[in-house]
Amino acid sequence: MRFLSDLWRILRHDKGALIGGAIVLIYCLAAIFGPMLVEVGNEQDASQAYLPPSLEHPLGTDALGQGVLSQIIVGTRPIMIVGVLSAVITVFVGVAVGLLTGYVGGVADTVIMRITDIFLTIPGLPLIIVLASVISTTNPVVLAFILSITAWAGLARAIRSQAMSLRSREFVEAAKLQGVSLGNMVGRQLLPNVGPYVAIHFLLAITGAIYASVGLFLLGVAPISGNNWGIMINLAMAQGALYTTDSAFYLFSPMAAIVILQVAFVFFSRALDSVFNPRLRVQ
Amino acid sequence: MVSYVLKRLAMSLLIIYIVISLSFFMIRLMPGNPMAALESQLRMQGGLSEVEIQQRINAVYSVTPDAPVWEQYVQYVWGAVRGDLGRPITNPGTTVVAVIAEALPWTIMVVAVSLIISFVIGIAVGAMMAAFQSSRWSQSVTFVVSFLSAIPSYLVAIALLYVLTSVYQVFPSGGAYGVDVTPGLNGPYVISVLYHAVLPIAASVITSFGGWALGMKGSAVSVLGAEYVRAAEARGLSDRRITQSYVGRNSMLPMVTQLALSVGFMFGGSVFIETYFQYPGIGFYMIQSVGQRDYSLMMGCFLLITVSVIITNLLVDLLYPLVDPRIANPAARARAADQPTDTDQEVLPAGGSMA
Repeated sequence: MRFLSDLWRILRHDKGALIGGAIVLIYCLAAIFGPMLVEVGNEQDASQAYLPPSLEHPLGTDALGQGVLSQIIVGTRPIMIVGVLSAVITVFVGVAVGLLTGYVGGVADTVIMRITDIFLTIPGLPLIIVLASVISTTNPVVLAFILSITAWAGLARAIRSQAMSLRSREFVEAAKLQGVSLGNMVGRQLLPNVGPYVAIHFLLAITGAIYASVGLFLLGVAPISGNNWGIMINLAMAQGALYTTDSAFYLFSPMAAIVILQVAFVFFSRALDSVFNPRLRVQ
Repeated sequence: MVSYVLKRLAMSLLIIYIVISLSFFMIRLMPGNPMAALESQLRMQGGLSEVEIQQRINAVYSVTPDAPVWEQYVQYVWGAVRGDLGRPITNPGTTVVAVIAEALPWTIMVVAVSLIISFVIGIAVGAMMAAFQSSRWSQSVTFVVSFLSAIPSYLVAIALLYVLTSVYQVFPSGGAYGVDVTPGLNGPYVISVLYHAVLPIAASVITSFGGWALGMKGSAVSVLGAEYVRAAEARGLSDRRITQSYVGRNSMLPMVTQLALSVGFMFGGSVFIETYFQYPGIGFYMIQSVGQRDYSLMMGCFLLITVSVIITNLLVDLLYPLVDPRIANPAARARAADQPTDTDQEVLPAGGSMA
């Protein structure tokens, strides 16, 4: 509850963060309830193609005569699912590896950190593209695993350096003297102290995963099936939306949807940052 | 210093070896792997004897398909070390290395130029933001910069394409140079190359300088509050001296570290940018080969992108001791480690966490 009231106090004064948080909330609601409220049919009606915005289709229609807005709403869910799943995997692996190696130290630390370095060095996006094209999956869980293949390494390094500085603190000494288990030490003693950092990184990991997953669909690396923003842009580009003047809404609506969500996440994460990090508030 | 260099070098070679093994694993050992797919495809076509099929596969992946797996692995790694990455399936007349050798300079040029431009602009803007922290100007710039850095580069690329090559036809929509110039060191060619590179570079600079600016601002603000800056002020050093050798140099350190990490990110982003601007760099060929299921070319592109990133990282690592002498000098490093570092000020990688 302290957290919520703190968050509200910060948000009230920071308009950008407030709007960002509200937008993130709207997208979440759209992802959960959107497919129940609107649906994208299979019927195609060429006479309805590339209509300008109207009451029935607030953002116009696409090449097949279907409403762009309803496609965007329906397309929110797959993007959000992959983004959140991938962020969960990234954060879980990153935090577990970082805390364990930072706390235990020794040979295990050296070996695991060398492995982490390797993942940090290999460029993430090309590896993701290669994996996605060889595995070629539509399963969101598999896609999420592919997307987080290198993203955890940066977090693990940062968490490790925090765990190493926590290791010499009094409360850790006290817990050690009480003889708590390793699981308790990592989960109950160390984790709450890196919580804020993890929460912010979780939001940023979502934006990173959305960036990469939309990119995969956009380039046609991931199989084109179903409906999401990346696929919409991909189809729009393939149908020459760049060179026909009446398809601006069709091309730019999914792009706007992505930009608004990404920007909202970044501004919202800034507010979380100042909730958790009182020193920033003073500055 | 020597041991520092050797350690870095060994690590780089190890990573290259691992990436080569990884690409062998993906081509050969994964269920439904590209090599088995090619074999069955050739068989389906008919009219080819068993030996011919094996020869084709051998040409494409430069391994003998009926040899034991470990032997294929040795062949593959040895081939990659000698610079033999097989032939593109879609164009067996040339080699993967030849295609890549033509594409790589374009990518390196665009990535290097846009990295330098965005680094310089970002550092300058970030330093200004830190210097005038509470001004209106700084607040509005912070807003603009966070907004720009949150936009994916491919969307900026599409928007630029739409506005500047379709609606207003100011810039060419593809290629690395015009058809009417002869490659070589002559004026029209250089101008044409620059003209064609403007949009790809602009797309990555617009989306990446914001990350640098925010990072620099955070870093400079934390240095401004440091004790040694106050001590320098108290000693009566000139403002110029303090800004340059106390604040400037120290707040640049995390930025230079970041430079190494962001090289990989820039190469990754170049895949999107080159594809949309049809710029014949390595990322363009990579996506093309993905679309055509040309796995030998795709793996070649992946290997080369990784090797470029590793080499650049190595260069940054070797240059780093010049900026921060503590790195190469173990005694000084130990002293630095004793001081508690401020982990909260950790700079997030430019462009989110997908570095």
